[in-house]
Amino acid sequence: LFIVFQKSTGHEPPGKPVLLGCRSPEKETFTCWWEPGSAGGLPTNYSLYYKKEGSDTVYECPDYKTAGKNSCYFDKQHTSIWINYNITVVATNALGRSFSDPLDVDVAYNVQPHAPENVTVEFHSKENPCLLVKWEPPHKADTKSGWITLIYEVRVKREKEDNWEEHFAGQQKQYNIFSLHPWEKYMVQVRCRPDHGYWSEWSSTAYVEIPDYIRRDRSMWIL
Amino acid sequence: LSLSVQIQCIGLNGLLERAAEISERLHALSTGLTNDLDTHFPPSGRMLMPRPSLCHTSSLTTPNDKEHVLRLPESELLAIVRSLLLSWSDPLHLLSAEAPSLPHPSSGSIHSKTRELQESTHVLNRGLEKLVSKIGPGSQSLDLSPFTWRGDLGSDRNSRLLNFQFLMSCFRRDSHKIDSFLKLLRCRTAKMRPEVC
Repeated sequence: LFIVFQKSTGHEPPGKPVLLGCRSPEKETFTCWWEPGSAGGLPTNYSLYYKKEGSDTVYECPDYKTAGKNSCYFDKQHTSIWINYNITVVATNALGRSFSDPLDVDVAYNVQPHAPENVTVEFHSKENPCLLVKWEPPHKADTKSGWITLIYEVRVKREKEDNWEEHFAGQQKQYNIFSLHPWEKYMVQVRCRPDHGYWSEWSSTAYVEIPDYIRRDRSMWIL
Repeated sequence: LSLSVQIQCIGLNGLLERAAEISERLHALSTGLTNDLDTHFPPSGRMLMPRPSLCHTSSLTTPNDKEHVLRLPESELLAIVRSLLLSWSDPLHLLSAEAPSLPHPSSGSIHSKTRELQESTHVLNRGLEKLVSKIGPGSQSLDLSPFTWRGDLGSDRNSRLLNFQFLMSCFRRDSHKIDSFLKLLRCRTAKMRPEVC
């Protein structure tokens, strides 16, 4: 009879939320995201609770706002590294509540930086004609002190082509690209990853147009 | 002789560069091993796996946020790295000895990686001794004596796998710390690396 009643009103306790994971852009703060289960036809409230390794104290998420909907942001004061956070999300409505499967997270293994910034590209025609690509690390990543170590990858393509050509740049913040076609417009992007962690998104695109450097060389050679 | 002459010639920057290369490899290896072991985990394993706070090195309290870590003087950073690494001499020796007979389909590759871990740890330990002589004696006088580990993997199949996996997960975390601290030291002493730090 109870089931019939629930079906007739369309109201149920909330479905089980799913914890999607956590990411830290700079080893200093981190954010965790979840996916709500079915809402059960009623207004549903989500809370995130966590315990830190070595303690049984349960804390609630310190900030549901900064990182947007269905997320919890841990600022510097709430972030430790090399410590497991045991995290659970609870969905609550008027008819009851349901718990996500718990997730154990160590910030050390969940670092994904923002994309590199201020990417520039210039054509250099002295000796070997090449593109000089330069960039800066994402401003939030403290690479100066060595707290985070980033390595970079550059990719380049002619605007009218589909395939990118990728180049590994190591820890350098600039890279030379050779073998260029004159009169072509090139697109360049850069991404970074920490020594142990995930690749960032690709940066915004820098454009450059290659002048007709080959003809100039040839004409000199003919002379 | 040529090796010792070579070491004498390498400056502080070069030594730290080499140390950070090895520590990066140590962490990559332990991550690879953790993944290898994960593919063949006893069904009840995850429930029975000891908590990370039970790792034998968790008694070596080290700072775990940037602000505290950056405040540590060079000698103290180095002391932490040394103590952590020395605490792993015995367990890594055991893992390396037990790997060939581990009830796991990839025990061969696990064995070779574990041996590389053990050997690289020795090399890094020797490098750290050189670093202590350059950075100063402060790094020896701290109350951070390495933890002596006495244990075995147990006798039945599941406990052997479980304890192997548990120790490896502990080393994975410690090698991440070691690598992070050495890279901080590398940036602090390397005025010559503005392109990187």
